[in-house]
Amino acid sequence: MIGRVVATELKPSTPHQFHFWTANETSIGIGAIVRVGQGVGSGDVGSGRTVYGVVTDGFAYSDLATPLHDVIGAEGDPAKAAAAPTVRQEIRYWTAAVLRQIPEEPLQPVPLGHVFVASDIDVAQALRMDGYLHSAAPTAIPIGLYTSGGLEAPVYLDADFLLGPEAAHLNISGVSGLATKTSAVEFLLASMFRHFPAHKGKVAAVCFNVKGPDLCFLDQPGDLSDEDRRRYERLDVPATPFERVHYFAPLKADGVNLNTLRTHPELVDDVTPLTWGLQEVVDYAEVLLNRDDIDAKADAFIDFLRDRVLGKSFDDGFGNSHDVGTFADLERLFRDIFDGLETSGRSDTWRTHHIATMRKVRNRLLNISTRCKGLVTDDGPTSDLPWGAFADRAVYVIDVANVDPLGQDLVFARCVSKLREHLERRDLGVDAVVVFVDELNKYAPGDGPETYVKKMLLDISERGRYLGLVLFGAEQFRSQVHRRVVGNAGTQVFGRMDMDELATPGYQVLSPATKIKLATLPVGELMVRHPHFTQPIFVRFPKPPVLRGRDGMERFPAAVDLPFEDAVARQLVQLDRRVRPNQVKDLIADRTEEDVRRALAAVRQKRPEDALAYFRKQLGGRVAVDAPRERRAVPPLNPITDEPY
Amino acid sequence: MTWWDALVRAGAVPAAYVPPASLGRTDVDEGAEPGADLVEGDKVEVHAVDPAPAPPACFLDGIEQWKVVGYDGVLPIIRAYVAAAVRRRGDDRRPRTAFEAARDFAIAPLAGMAPERRRALTDHCPDVVEISIEEGTQPGRVLELARRAVDSARQTLERDLAERCLARLGDTEWLVVDGLLSVSGKLAGHPRALGVIKSHGAQFFTGADLERALTVAAAHRTSVFRARGGHARNEVYSWYLRLWPWEGNDLLYGLLRIEARAAAATIAAATATSGWLLAERAPIATPDVRWDRLLYPIHDVETYLRARAPRDLLASRASRLPRTGT
Repeated sequence: MIGRVVATELKPSTPHQFHFWTANETSIGIGAIVRVGQGVGSGDVGSGRTVYGVVTDGFAYSDLATPLHDVIGAEGDPAKAAAAPTVRQEIRYWTAAVLRQIPEEPLQPVPLGHVFVASDIDVAQALRMDGYLHSAAPTAIPIGLYTSGGLEAPVYLDADFLLGPEAAHLNISGVSGLATKTSAVEFLLASMFRHFPAHKGKVAAVCFNVKGPDLCFLDQPGDLSDEDRRRYERLDVPATPFERVHYFAPLKADGVNLNTLRTHPELVDDVTPLTWGLQEVVDYAEVLLNRDDIDAKADAFIDFLRDRVLGKSFDDGFGNSHDVGTFADLERLFRDIFDGLETSGRSDTWRTHHIATMRKVRNRLLNISTRCKGLVTDDGPTSDLPWGAFADRAVYVIDVANVDPLGQDLVFARCVSKLREHLERRDLGVDAVVVFVDELNKYAPGDGPETYVKKMLLDISERGRYLGLVLFGAEQFRSQVHRRVVGNAGTQVFGRMDMDELATPGYQVLSPATKIKLATLPVGELMVRHPHFTQPIFVRFPKPPVLRGRDGMERFPAAVDLPFEDAVARQLVQLDRRVRPNQVKDLIADRTEEDVRRALAAVRQKRPEDALAYFRKQLGGRVAVDAPRERRAVPPLNPITDEPY
Repeated sequence: MTWWDALVRAGAVPAAYVPPASLGRTDVDEGAEPGADLVEGDKVEVHAVDPAPAPPACFLDGIEQWKVVGYDGVLPIIRAYVAAAVRRRGDDRRPRTAFEAARDFAIAPLAGMAPERRRALTDHCPDVVEISIEEGTQPGRVLELARRAVDSARQTLERDLAERCLARLGDTEWLVVDGLLSVSGKLAGHPRALGVIKSHGAQFFTGADLERALTVAAAHRTSVFRARGGHARNEVYSWYLRLWPWEGNDLLYGLLRIEARAAAATIAAATATSGWLLAERAPIATPDVRWDRLLYPIHDVETYLRARAPRDLLASRASRLPRTGT
C-alpha cells in the first residue's frame, strides 16, 4: 500500500478523477498506475469497487501559511531555515485520472480507500488489455513496458485497433534527433511481426526512407545492452534484426549508380533499382504536373493517350503504326503526328485535340524523364516492387532520401496506389500492409496546397483500415499535420515534445505535469494513447534490434560512385558471378551510354542464366560508323578580291 | 447503535451543542495564590540567550473535545474525547509518534437522571464519568463541572503518557511537555523534562520584579525561581523566556514560562536550555494563532491528535436553524 484516497469538499472524488496522498518518499510519479483497494476505510463500506487510475499530477506542500513565515522563522537567513530543529510537516498529494472501475456500472465516484501500486495483472485490467490478451484469439501486440516503482509490466496494443478493422493507423510525434520516432516504429514492427495473430493472416511493411540512412540497415544487428535484451525477453520479441528486408532505390542520373546510402559493397547487392517507364508513370501524371499544366483539355488528351495509345497498336492517321511503351515511343508518335499535320496541311486539330494542347502535354510528359532521371527511364525495361508477391513478415524499404521532391511524390503516390489496388483485389500476397511515412509535416501539412500525396495519405487514413492498408506516420509537430490524418490514427504515440508544440490546443487535455513529463521524456520512453486506454500511458521500449542509420554509416560507409563502365560491370557481376568485369568493359567500349543502360535494364528485368550473353544480345551488333564523305569545294563565282565593297 | 442513540431511544432529547468552553484546553490557575522564591540571584534579573542546537527530544501534548449529545429534562449528557501523544523527533528532524492514548467517554449527572435513561446510558456506554450535583442545579453549572471533568481526564492521560515516556527516554533525550510539569511528581523530578507554559493566568511576581519578568526582551530569560502556590503540586523551578519581541504587540507576546526540576543543575543549565528552546522558534507554528508562544513540535503533536480525533465532536459549520420539511 502506498497511499490513501482523500476527498474534500473543494477537491472531491468524481467518477473520473480522485486524489490521494503518499509518504514523502514514494516510488510513484506522474504516469504511475495505481489501484484503489476495496473494503478498507470509511466511505467505501460495501462498495466492493476496484478503481484503477493513472497519476496525472502531483503536489507537495507544507503547513506553512505564507512564505513570509518561513522568512520570519529564519530571521531572513535561508541558512537558518535549513537548520531549523524540526522539519515542517509536508504532503505528497497526487491527482489520478480513472482508467477503469470494476464494476463499470453504475458509474460512481471513486470511494475512499487505500491506494496500491499496480501489479502486472492490475495493469492489464486497468488498460482493458485482459479482453484481447487472454481471449480465445489473442490480438495483443507489445508496445513497451510500463515501469514504476520497480514494477515492469508489458503494455499491449490490440491488433484489431492497430491494423484494423476496428480502428487502425498509428501516429507518432516527437522532436527530432532523440532516437525515438524511427526507433519506436522499428521496435513496433519487430513486435508486430512476432505477435501478429495467425488468424489475421499475413502482414508486411513498406517503409519510405525519406531522410538520411535511417532505415538503410534494418537487416543488420545493432548494439543492444543487457538491459535491452532483458526487455526484449520480457516482451517476447526477438532481439534480432529483421529477417526479410528488401531494399529499393532509384538510380542516379547516370542510370547505373544507385541513389541510396546503402551502397557499401557488402550490402549493395540487396538493393534493387527502382526504375519506371511511361506505362508506370502516366497514371500518376497528376502528381508530376502542376495545376496550371492540367487543365480540362490537357487532362482529356492524357486520358486519350492512356486509354487508346499506351500499350496498344495505334494508327496515327498518317499511315504510321505505333506501339507506344516508352517515352521514346511516345516522342516518335508525337513527331509523326506533328509532321503529318504539317505536311498534310490539315487543320490544327488531331482527333479533336488541339495541337497546342498536344504540344503542351508532349512537353510536360517528356520532361518527366528528365526531371526524374534515374527513376523514370526514357526507354527500356523497368524494375519495380514485387506487386502480388509480397512476403509475410517482410519489410520493403523504398529509399527516396536523396530523390528530389517531385520524384519522392511520384514514388509515394504510385506505391500507395498500387498497394491499395492489390489489397482491394486481395492479390498482394499479404493481408495487411503497414506503410511507414516519416515527415508528415512535409507530406500532409495541415495547411498548404492540396497535393496528390496529401490526398493519398488522407485516403489511407480514412479508408485504409477496411483494406488492411495501415499508415504509421511520424512527424515533429503533430499540430501542423492535417487533422484528418492524425485524427484517424487510432493509436497515438508521443516522444519528447517541444513546449511550444505542447502549448497548442491539441494538448489541452493533458495535465500540466504530464506536459512537463512529455517535454523532458528520456530516450526510449513514450506516451501512448490507444482506443482501449482511457488515459495516456507512459511506456519504455528497448532499443531497436537493428543498426541505427548513423552507426550503419560508420560501419558500412557508402561507396563512392563508380565510373560508368565499372558500375555496369558490377551490376552484371551481381546478377551473374561468372561475369568478369573486363569482359563487360570490352563489350561496352565505344557504345553509347543509352544503349548500355537499355541493355542493362533488360538484363535486370529478365535475370537470365547467362547474364553476359543476354547483355551482349541486347546491345546488338556494332554498327560501323561511315567516314564522312569528302566534300568537294565549289569555287565562288567571283574570286574574292581585296576590294572592300 | 451508539450510546447516545440508546439514550435518545430511552427518552432523552437529542442535542448537538458544542459549548464554547469545549473548544480547547485551559491552563486556568485554580490553586492557591501563586508566589515565587528566587533561586538565582537576589532579584529578578534578565539574561541574554543565544540560540543553540536542540538535543534529541520528545514532545507531549494533549487535546480535549466534548459536546452535549442529549438532555434528560434540563440535565445535559455529554460525550467527551481526550487524547495525548508523545512525538519523538528523529535524526531526520521529523517528529514521529512514540506514545499515544485516547479516551472517548460520557459525562453525566447520573444521580439526577431518570432511571430508564440512566440505565440506557450505563448499559451502552462502558466509560461513564459521573458528576455530582445537588437537586436543582442549573444546566450551566453542570457544563462547568463537565469541563473540569474533561480537563482532569486529559491531564491524567497526559501524565500517564509522560510517565510512560520518561521510563523509555534515551540517555540524552529530553521530554518537553506542553503545560505544567508540576502536575506529576515523576515529571517534576526528572532531570530532562521541561514544561512549557504559554498561558500566564498565574503571576508569580509583583511590583518591579513583575515588570522585569513580563517585559523581558526577546532572546532573554529571567532569573530562575521556585514556583509556589497556584497549581504547583510538586516543587519545580521556573523562569520566563521571550521568543519574540513584544514591543508593538502585547506584554505576553512570545513569552513562555519554563518549568524544570527543582535542582541546582537546572539553574546552571537555564541559559543553555533556553538557548535550544529559543531555536525552536523556527519553524513558526502557523497557522495557529498562538504561534508566538507555541513551539512547532508541540503544534505538530496537537495537529496529529486533532487529525485523529472523532470528527463528529467538532462544532458543525452548518446552520443551527431548525430543519424544515420534516
